[in-house]
Amino acid sequence: MPKMSAMQMAVAGIVALIYWKALDDTNVSIEELVRGLPAIGELLRQMFPPDWSYALQLGRPVIETLQIGIIASIIAAILSLPMAFLAAKNVSPHPAIYMPVRLILTVCRGVSELIWALLFVVAVGLGPFAGVIALIIYCVGVIGKLLAEAVEAVDPGPLEAMAAAGASRWKVFLYGAWPQVMPLYLTYCLYYWDHNTRQAVVLGFVGAGGVGYTLFFNISTYYFEKAMMAMIVLIAMIVVIDRICLYLRKKII
Amino acid sequence: MADAAALERTLKFVVDRRRTTRRQFAITGVVLLALAIWSAHGAEFNIPRLVEGLPKFYDLLGRMMPPNTAILGGLMGPLLETLEMALLGTTFPIFFALPLAFLAAVNVSPHPAVSAISRVVIGSLRTVPELIWAMILVTAVGLGPFPGVLALTLHSIGGLGKFYYEAIEASDPGLIEAMQATGASRFKVIWFGVMPNVIPILMSSTLFYWEYNNRASTVLGLVGAGGIGLALTHAMADFRYKEVITCLILIVLVLVVIDRISAFLRSKII
Repeated sequence: MPKMSAMQMAVAGIVALIYWKALDDTNVSIEELVRGLPAIGELLRQMFPPDWSYALQLGRPVIETLQIGIIASIIAAILSLPMAFLAAKNVSPHPAIYMPVRLILTVCRGVSELIWALLFVVAVGLGPFAGVIALIIYCVGVIGKLLAEAVEAVDPGPLEAMAAAGASRWKVFLYGAWPQVMPLYLTYCLYYWDHNTRQAVVLGFVGAGGVGYTLFFNISTYYFEKAMMAMIVLIAMIVVIDRICLYLRKKII
Repeated sequence: MADAAALERTLKFVVDRRRTTRRQFAITGVVLLALAIWSAHGAEFNIPRLVEGLPKFYDLLGRMMPPNTAILGGLMGPLLETLEMALLGTTFPIFFALPLAFLAAVNVSPHPAVSAISRVVIGSLRTVPELIWAMILVTAVGLGPFPGVLALTLHSIGGLGKFYYEAIEASDPGLIEAMQATGASRFKVIWFGVMPNVIPILMSSTLFYWEYNNRASTVLGLVGAGGIGLALTHAMADFRYKEVITCLILIVLVLVVIDRISAFLRSKII
């Protein structure tokens, strides 16, 4: 048994306390789970068999969800480029620009898509458009930050050489940093396409249409066999997207 | 003469390659543009509508100012609950995701069929967003943080499971083969051959999911699964925008702190 230092013991003690408090506050316990099991079992019973005939009606909502995911990802991918350029310390034109852009990106990804969607429903009304804006804002926040970090981590040699040769900051970014970070950028874009499609489903909960709304409606009206069918279609859709991403990623890298 | 021919060949090769790259680039661009137009149409993407809506958004921001700081004290409880849900919702899935990942990773799985089935389980859990799990579970076991923790757990088993098996599959095959050649049992191969290699990656992806779950648990309240999301939803539904903005600022601040903690822990691991 390796001896623990006083420091390690203290950390272990604090961690144990945190967990104990969390378990206590959230009422998570084996008894609670056991008590909940019959209800979950009953729910599962109601979900099976799924309503197969319902699948035909899901075509349109599924396509709408796909479209929300695609347009949001494409626009977010485009917008995150200049944001990353402005937010990367080594290529950003000026610290006075770099700091506020970082802050904007933090706020963009600090608030979940769902909350952005709720706010934009006020501006543009119910419908998929509010969802698209929400996905774009969040996604620009994440890709912008990840890309900026990637740009900051690139080999400084070519950048310095270009700067010494008198290239503008934008050119330094485009010809010095970009070739180094492009594979990473494309990987992020593909990952967030998958992510956006999944989140597009959730946005249906707040009225942004698509298969998420169908699912929300069916769960809240207790049509569980229809909800199950919608979930099966949803899983199939994501599996297909996952495969496409895998294929594209292999082609790129 | 031979040199000239070689030079010509090289030049032709370069020009051809450039042409192919350019053509590929053009094709990709056209495909993406077509997809974008089709999707923009279906998703009712409409910049004028956004521009028209901006005054309303601006008005909304106006009604949010100044933030109502009087409710801060009352928000601490729900905020703590949110953080606790995320902590438990990231810890529990580790115990399920790890064994599942070892069954799913093709290089250590006992059988291809087991691997395929495990992947379907992981994929299905991951695909259904935590909010949908939460809504279903709230219907089954009632309101409160408990269904929230369960929802995060279910989704994270899938999310972590995928990260884990990808890490295991990427681990050094030479080491595994060498151990198998000495007649080590499957358990020993996993424990002494794979685990020491992949632990830093596993911890790093678990931290990533902890961040993710903190963000996710802020909205679980929307479907009645407790936390600060519940306070936010109520404030939103009653148009108390000064309280909405207080909740939002608090959420952003806490998530920034979590990001920092996570980055610090990650730097300790790697």
